[in-house]
Amino acid sequence: MKILTERMEAHRTDSHTIERYEATGGYTALRKGLLELGAEAVAAEVKASNLRGRGGANFPAGVKWGFLAPAKPAYLVVNGDESEPGTFKDRQLLERDPHQLVEGVILSSFALDVHHAFIYIRGEYPKPARRLQDAVDEAYEKGYLGSDILGSGFDLDVTIHLGGGAYICGEESALLNSLEGRRGEPRIKPPFPAIEGLYSKPTIVNNVETLSNVPWIVNNGGVAYARIGPDTSAGTRMISLSGHVENPGNYEIVMGMPWREIIYGLGGGIPGGRELKAWIPGGSSAPWFVPAEHLDVPATIDDTDSNGSMMGSGAIIVMDDSTDMVKAAHRIVRFYSHESCGQCTPCREGTTWLERILYRIVSGQGRHADIELLLDISDGISPGLTWPPLMTTICPLGPSATAPVVSLMQYFRHEVEAMIGDDDG
Amino acid sequence: MKEVVLTAKEATAIEGWSKPSQQRSVEILSRYPDKRSAVMPLLYISMIENGYVTEDGMRQVGLLTGLSPAQVQSVASFYTMYKREPIGDYLVGVCTSISCFLLGADDVLAAIEDESGVPDGESGGDGTFSIEHVECNGACGGAPVVLVNWEMIEGVTPEKARELVRWLRDGRPDVVNTEEMQRLFGGKRAFDWGVKEPVGAILPVPAFGPYGSVGGEAT
Amino acid sequence: MADRELVTITIDGVEMQGPAGEVLIKVAEDNGNFIPRFCWHPRMKPVGMCRMCLVEVIGPRGPMLLPSCTTRVTDGMEVDTQSTVVKKAQEGVLEYLLINHPLDCPICDKGGECPLQDHTMAYGPGESRFVEEKRHYEKPIPISELVLLDRERCILCARCTRFSEEISGDPLIEFKDRGNAVQVITFPDEPFASYFSGNTVQICPVGALTATPYRFKARPWDLEAVESVSLVDSVGSKVSVQSSQNSVVRIDGIDNEPTNQGWLSDKDRFIFESIHSDNRLTTPLIKQDGKFVETGWGEALDYVAEKLSDMTGEVVAGLGGANNTNEEAFAFGKFLRTIVVTPHIDAQLDDGLDPHFLVGVTPRAAIPDLETAKTILLWAGDLKEEYPVLYLRVRRAAAELGAKLIVVHPRATGLDDVAAHKIRYRPGRGPDVLRELRGGAEDYAEARSALDEGPVVAIVGRTGLAENPRLAEGVAAFVRDLPGGKILPLARRGNIVGALDMGLAPTLLPGRVSETSAHDLLEAEWGPLPESRALDATGILEGLRDGELEALIMLGVDPVRDHPEPQLARSALESAQLVVAFDHFLSDSTQLADVVLPVEGFAEVEGTVTNIEGRVQKVNRLVPGPGQTRPVWSALDDLARRMGGDLGAPSAAALAKEIERVAPVYHGVTWDALDWGEGREGLLLPIEDGVQHLEYIPVDDGLAPVNARYGLHLGRVLYDDGVRTRMSPSLAALAPEAKVYLNSTDAKVLGLEEGAVATVESAYGSAELPVAIDESLGRTTVYVPANLAATAELGAAVAVVVSKGEAS
Ligand SMILES: Cc1cc2nc3c(=O)[nH]c(=O)nc-3n(C[C@H](O)[C@H](O)[C@H](O)COP(=O)(O)O)c2cc1C
Ligand code: SF4
Ligand code: SF4
Ligand code: FES
Ligand code: FES
Repeated sequence: MKILTERMEAHRTDSHTIERYEATGGYTALRKGLLELGAEAVAAEVKASNLRGRGGANFPAGVKWGFLAPAKPAYLVVNGDESEPGTFKDRQLLERDPHQLVEGVILSSFALDVHHAFIYIRGEYPKPARRLQDAVDEAYEKGYLGSDILGSGFDLDVTIHLGGGAYICGEESALLNSLEGRRGEPRIKPPFPAIEGLYSKPTIVNNVETLSNVPWIVNNGGVAYARIGPDTSAGTRMISLSGHVENPGNYEIVMGMPWREIIYGLGGGIPGGRELKAWIPGGSSAPWFVPAEHLDVPATIDDTDSNGSMMGSGAIIVMDDSTDMVKAAHRIVRFYSHESCGQCTPCREGTTWLERILYRIVSGQGRHADIELLLDISDGISPGLTWPPLMTTICPLGPSATAPVVSLMQYFRHEVEAMIGDDDG
Repeated sequence: MKEVVLTAKEATAIEGWSKPSQQRSVEILSRYPDKRSAVMPLLYISMIENGYVTEDGMRQVGLLTGLSPAQVQSVASFYTMYKREPIGDYLVGVCTSISCFLLGADDVLAAIEDESGVPDGESGGDGTFSIEHVECNGACGGAPVVLVNWEMIEGVTPEKARELVRWLRDGRPDVVNTEEMQRLFGGKRAFDWGVKEPVGAILPVPAFGPYGSVGGEAT
Repeated sequence: MADRELVTITIDGVEMQGPAGEVLIKVAEDNGNFIPRFCWHPRMKPVGMCRMCLVEVIGPRGPMLLPSCTTRVTDGMEVDTQSTVVKKAQEGVLEYLLINHPLDCPICDKGGECPLQDHTMAYGPGESRFVEEKRHYEKPIPISELVLLDRERCILCARCTRFSEEISGDPLIEFKDRGNAVQVITFPDEPFASYFSGNTVQICPVGALTATPYRFKARPWDLEAVESVSLVDSVGSKVSVQSSQNSVVRIDGIDNEPTNQGWLSDKDRFIFESIHSDNRLTTPLIKQDGKFVETGWGEALDYVAEKLSDMTGEVVAGLGGANNTNEEAFAFGKFLRTIVVTPHIDAQLDDGLDPHFLVGVTPRAAIPDLETAKTILLWAGDLKEEYPVLYLRVRRAAAELGAKLIVVHPRATGLDDVAAHKIRYRPGRGPDVLRELRGGAEDYAEARSALDEGPVVAIVGRTGLAENPRLAEGVAAFVRDLPGGKILPLARRGNIVGALDMGLAPTLLPGRVSETSAHDLLEAEWGPLPESRALDATGILEGLRDGELEALIMLGVDPVRDHPEPQLARSALESAQLVVAFDHFLSDSTQLADVVLPVEGFAEVEGTVTNIEGRVQKVNRLVPGPGQTRPVWSALDDLARRMGGDLGAPSAAALAKEIERVAPVYHGVTWDALDWGEGREGLLLPIEDGVQHLEYIPVDDGLAPVNARYGLHLGRVLYDDGVRTRMSPSLAALAPEAKVYLNSTDAKVLGLEEGAVATVESAYGSAELPVAIDESLGRTTVYVPANLAATAELGAAVAVVVSKGEAS
């Protein structure tokens, strides 16, 4: 079952063009939505689809739309900041089928009574941004954007905004600040964007993949979408496989297959005859899974969650038995320390402290006391080190840095101890 | 989108910019309900005009967006792609985040540093190169990943990375294009790229039409 | 804030009430539960950054760890501030903050009054486990003439940056970089040159921002302090004056809800340097053969008494009193009216508004009315330059509270960025603008309709020194007819309203009553009062020049500098047979006196002052005056006795009691009430209470516009050449260079360019000034900053001639 990638797989060289898009059923949902269904019915289909956000938090899109405050103007903002290490699905959707997203944006804006939508693309994605800008320009030319779209009386403008290099702008309120021309610092919530978002106006933020599903849902009905896959993980979703697997790449799957099948089936197993050591099931901020415990856990949102990790952004990072787990943990912590916006004391100081201790250990200067210290600093950022994490911070970035530390100590403490060896400090 | 006319003061501030950049600035201002939102795109344009984000550039962007220079500096310095020091013609970034790390990115970085003679985080080679390690660039399935002026190459080996450095140094291409570089120096990709990409970057600024940083032939 | 519904919450088992929607940290504090914090400040929007104030709020799904500074209270909320999780979080935050903190407390100005130090003692971990290298920055770097920044001490709470953006509107200090590299800094070559920079020093929770004038002056535990009121302008900002070893070393703002809400201008804050200036007068001086010689009080007063006794009272006049306490002003007026027996008294120098208008206009606005105003009409000087703290209040009203602000002024002002409408006009053409605005002329139609949305608060004054004061009355007359229209008239000198209330005006008697209505009443207390027609300041100076008056007593005034016609003032003083000056410094005017008497001043005297709204507040004594300085009242009392009279002024407190008795509007205003009672925030004098009180109905008397080739806008600047500024080294350095400002078209017509020298000539004199281009000025309008040495000779002319200067 393919929804998002069907066109690009069937039409290798031109799935991104408007000609191909229209020739394969593109913009029919738009006609249906604008001219037949009406705004409320489009919203109702999305609600009925049980489509959950694909940006990482898995929040049901229809429910979020229902929270949009009545004040006008309202805005739709598409989150194309895709920066969670391991994740590269939105890039493919943007490059290979930009019109699918544009159509989803128009339909969603229509449903939400939005007349100006923004698509925030991370600055390091010039090619996806070019493809998308071309698609937007074509949509304007065809009358799918601009005023009185298809004679429906509905007006919509779309602005593509390039980021400047900051992972934290993927967090929706930081993204809004960035779009307003500010530092990409997450905002205090509440108020949530649906109440006070862009320019303090009601705003819906959705991920690229989330909205790319909307044309299909409008064409086939929300109920049809909801019937695909397990109840609470409806529809298909993109997963990104990377690391030590034979066949890395993006896969559009129906959720529910066990992790074993993802890694050994889709992924083709571990290259070079090596053994699987651990994997990260949902982006680098997710706690690690290990073969002894998790290979047969079904890859659904709920099952992953109840086993102490998350599907997150759908990024699966596989590590074989040659991996130095301390170095891997350090590399992940370094990322979060580098990407901290710096507002919250525990995140700004704590993640950097974690990074420096791990660096010291990796460089052969570790002390045994560092193990407890690492855990205790983590505890100060995410009290109790529970799952899902509690936070002493404004946003989940700070706690994200503690996941690799905790997983490292949980499964590979002996490797840390071995690396520290006889400390004389 | 709304009509924007620059005031005399604003127009004077950027009269040193090329005509297309001036025009693009006005267009960009017209794309947002609040002019402050234009600060990030305008910073890119100021990089195109001034080579990097200079103090003057920040003042100019401030005038256009109604911000003090300190506010512009505050925004510009938050993001890693706004370079506030002179950079080389080719900004070579090597992803060293987790997936690329697992597949040997550190060796690729070392090879590039060695071949170019420019250490990570610095510029050199008579203004040819700036080398930096970067965080995940969304191509983890094609790790390790190298970017030249934000145009991506996937599946790069240390040997290919050295070839890339030499190719840039000796050939000094005006436009770097992801398609061409992938063909010459790349390997495994995160996904099938589909059709050829005819355009690329002319500067160490993401190649994007509205900013005027795109070069090469359009199809 | 409008009265909000009260909700009941429970913190640590204790029930308490607070307004619905208030932040938890505030409700807790108001009920005696102090939750530690760094970034939260009650006068700024919460940002929840430092995470020091985390508490557990018990929700339906168990306890949630939330910052109390961003969490709003709701009815029934249950809070735990002492749980293990909270304690752990607090310990964590402190440990994280300290890992990069230099711990140089022994040499830090903040040491001893540092929240970081205090919180670490109370909530912190024991020892630091940090073994890596700390963050390093260049040690304190000057970010302006007044402020130093030590980034190693900074805990990145963003109080300073938020203050600059949100409160003062000059975002010159900002965060830079990201994550662990974040620092607070200015832009290269753009110093933190804000009129309000000192506030950031005061609210910085650590010693990262320090003020040059205070640096290393004292340790907090050595400080003595009193509450007082700043007399730099007439806003009545409440201050804490602090001294070490009998020397004032620091002034901080106190949060007084109706007035300054904690903030001060840098002038309010650093003017204290003048108190201990080496140039302070410390001994009485008598002029002999054109030179001052030092003398003793006895000799000086005998000399004055003898001279005055030889004259009839009505050839003597008094000027000044607007920079003194009410008690001093009262004593001055009583001395002139009952000992000298002269009616010629004026606290203003023809540079303000009509005294009756100033103290008696109705309906009158108070500063807190700005919080509820829908529309604010500002037709006065540039508040940022003249009344900086009032500027903050208006900025808040316009930027935060949604009031529509209309600014009418000859050139750009500090509030233009938050103004809904800006009306600019040529000096002299104000009457036209008023007529057109009133009539809703096309250009002003939107502003006009905004004025129909009340409540309207109009802040009126003279936009420049040359502006006809009747214009302000015309504006007030217009505003009276607007829905909910109220008027706040402005006059600048610190206690000008108090001085007028004490009767220091030709036609006013103490207690805000007119000479005609209250003459008999006061005679019953004071005995016979002078009968003849009283002269105002200009009349007094003309009388002295023309020989109709013989003597002048000055109380802290400098007419040569401040009167619109400096030449008149100079010749008046030169012609007088006797000029006696009570003052702190030798000024252009006191130089021309025969006797100069050194008196105590701010921080040295106790008494009351009355701000521009008519709010009476207490000023207090902290240090003794230098040398032989005496309180004004005591010198006057002594002088009266030597003249054979009795002033009845044994102390300031006794004078306060007399004021309370004889000055009608001051009935009930006692030091006790102000110090301890209902007057802690000041007592706002009633304006329409009882028949004998002054009620002044402004009229628009159809003032004719003035035509001139070039209209002169003579506007004040904060750091002028005023004597107290000049005697405060830190502030004196900030005075701007005098220039003449023109728009570029006019400059071209005149063949002038930026930096060239122009000659500006008025009816009174001329000045050679460098040219600066200011596009906010209309055609044929020039702006010259007032009260700088180089511009003094121009006087307050409306029309000037501008030409290419000699030098260019
Ligand atoms: C640190 C952080 C980084 C995030 N990065 C992304 C991102 O790159 N892309 C994305 O779509 N959502 C990201 N999110 C999630 C967004 O905040 C938000 O939930 C999402 O864009 C909502 O869209 P959805 O409901 O369609 O998923 C991030 C969240 C956090 C806390
Ligand atoms: S947790 Fe980190 S990234 Fe998130 S707001 Fe706080 S400091 Fe910024
Ligand atoms: S300088 Fe002081 S007020 Fe400013 S951020 Fe640092 S600690 Fe806070
Ligand atoms: S980790 Fe290198 S591109 Fe994602
Ligand atoms: S005081 Fe609440 S987070 Fe700083």
